[in-house]
Amino acid sequence: MSWVTLLERFRRGDRLALSRLLSLLARGERSDEILGRLDPTPRGTRGSGSPARVVALTGGVGVGKSSLTGKLIEAVRPAGTGGPPGLSVAVLACDPQSPLSGGALLGDRFRMPSQPDDGVFIRSLATPGGQGALAEHLDHMIRLLEAFGFDLILVETVGAGQGDTSVRDLVDVVVLLLQPETGDDLQWEKAGVLEVADLIVVHKADLPGAANVEAQVRSMLALGGRDAPPVFRVSARTGAGIAELLDTLLAQPLRRKECDRADDLLRLARDTLTTRFSRARTAQDAELQGLLGRWQRGELSAAQAASELLRLLAQQQGSGVRDQGSAGGPSSLTPDS
Amino acid sequence: MPARFPGTTTDSHSRRPMTVPRPPRVVLAKVGLDGHDRGIKVVARALRDAGMEVIYAGLWQTPEAVVRAVADEDADWVGLSLLSGAHMTLVPRVLQLLRDAGLDHVGVLVGGIIPEDDVPQLLALGVARVFGPGTPLPEIVAFLNQHPLGGDAERCLG
Ligand SMILES: Nc1nc2c(ncn2[C@@H]2O[C@H](COP(=O)(O)OP(=O)(O)OP(=O)(O)O)[C@@H](O)[C@H]2O)c(=O)[nH]1
Ligand SMILES: [Mg+2]
Repeated sequence: MSWVTLLERFRRGDRLALSRLLSLLARGERSDEILGRLDPTPRGTRGSGSPARVVALTGGVGVGKSSLTGKLIEAVRPAGTGGPPGLSVAVLACDPQSPLSGGALLGDRFRMPSQPDDGVFIRSLATPGGQGALAEHLDHMIRLLEAFGFDLILVETVGAGQGDTSVRDLVDVVVLLLQPETGDDLQWEKAGVLEVADLIVVHKADLPGAANVEAQVRSMLALGGRDAPPVFRVSARTGAGIAELLDTLLAQPLRRKECDRADDLLRLARDTLTTRFSRARTAQDAELQGLLGRWQRGELSAAQAASELLRLLAQQQGSGVRDQGSAGGPSSLTPDS
Repeated sequence: MPARFPGTTTDSHSRRPMTVPRPPRVVLAKVGLDGHDRGIKVVARALRDAGMEVIYAGLWQTPEAVVRAVADEDADWVGLSLLSGAHMTLVPRVLQLLRDAGLDHVGVLVGGIIPEDDVPQLLALGVARVFGPGTPLPEIVAFLNQHPLGGDAERCLG
């Protein structure tokens, strides 16, 4: 089946088409064609009606990432008929490739709910050896799941080390899992793993030593100086702490989107200023000439002159000389054009 | 030394292959009520070591859960392990659900304790192969290597 047909079916909410398209993106095939045709502002149509929230669960091997993911899925799905609608959730679960064969044994979904639920989609991914914790093209796959309309996208990534920082750029919230047996604070410090986390989970809280780990984490965060992320004691086994974790997770700001949008806006503002500045110079604008003169004669410091320039360019909005939008130029995007 | 999956090697000629060959994705699941998963885990490791992507779906799976896993994982093959004697109801059910879900292209393998007499009937229903207990692992690997894309070669055109 061609990718065109798949996209048509995808737009109609066809789950099999979603699955096939994910495979294409995972292999880096037809990515531009597929991604270029997705809705740029997807909404979680199958649940809350708000944009997707993308959460990474990261941590060492066996710390309980899949088990906790499974519990989070159960917690956001509706318990029965008549209850709240629940959130739809997609999971991208990464497990490492075998360095010897290039094959992979993907065992994450085994820990997650298996009964068919149209609001739950789970895809296992092999991560290439020696390239950090992320599967290739993870960003593209997240965009596809978002466009399908999932409310919550959970990404399970292997390992907890320097490689984890890359996941921060792809998601809204990074949850770092630690467990009692790995309570070696030096190791965390060396790896810098606490820094990437927006939330920290001391997992397997049913085991002895969890309180100890929590105390160590808190004292280390206190040394860190920046706003310390919240720390939770959670057990996927007993269910303790899951509800609190979920509440906080769902209340976290959508960093990824704010970031994207803010960057877009900043880029646009910069373009606009540049355009106005060069036009004012070309037009030999009297005010600008005066400002440049005072700065060159040393009557204004560079910082003073710069803020004066900003004020000047901001005022020049819609003044006729500037912003006569040249087709396709940046100013054609400004509010006053 | 990496035991590369044969399908991923490109020939030495510069001509680009029509399709992008890749190792098969195989969902392995234990259906039925018995709780022994030693055999299926041995098979899972053997397939991984042969360069395949194996998704272990777990124990006590219902036919519905297996088919959902196959769909979401975009698998080429599904391997069902049964020891409980319910194969003549469970296997046909999986085959039917695969067809209902539009997953005819997915190949089905059956392993476990299957009486000799039932094998022809399972094959007639659409099972590609039945591997009884004691089947040498290389035999399973070789079979999948020869048929990496389940039942349908066209699907890899994507
Ligand atoms: N005591 C205890 N054990 C747990 C808990 N959650 C998970 N486990 C056990 O920890 C082991 C690993 O759990 P997984 O969920 O597979 O951990 P993971 O981090 O996904 O593992 P990998 O994907 O292999 O890195 C299993 O044996 C689980 O039963 C918990 O809350 N308490
Ligand atoms: Mg896992």
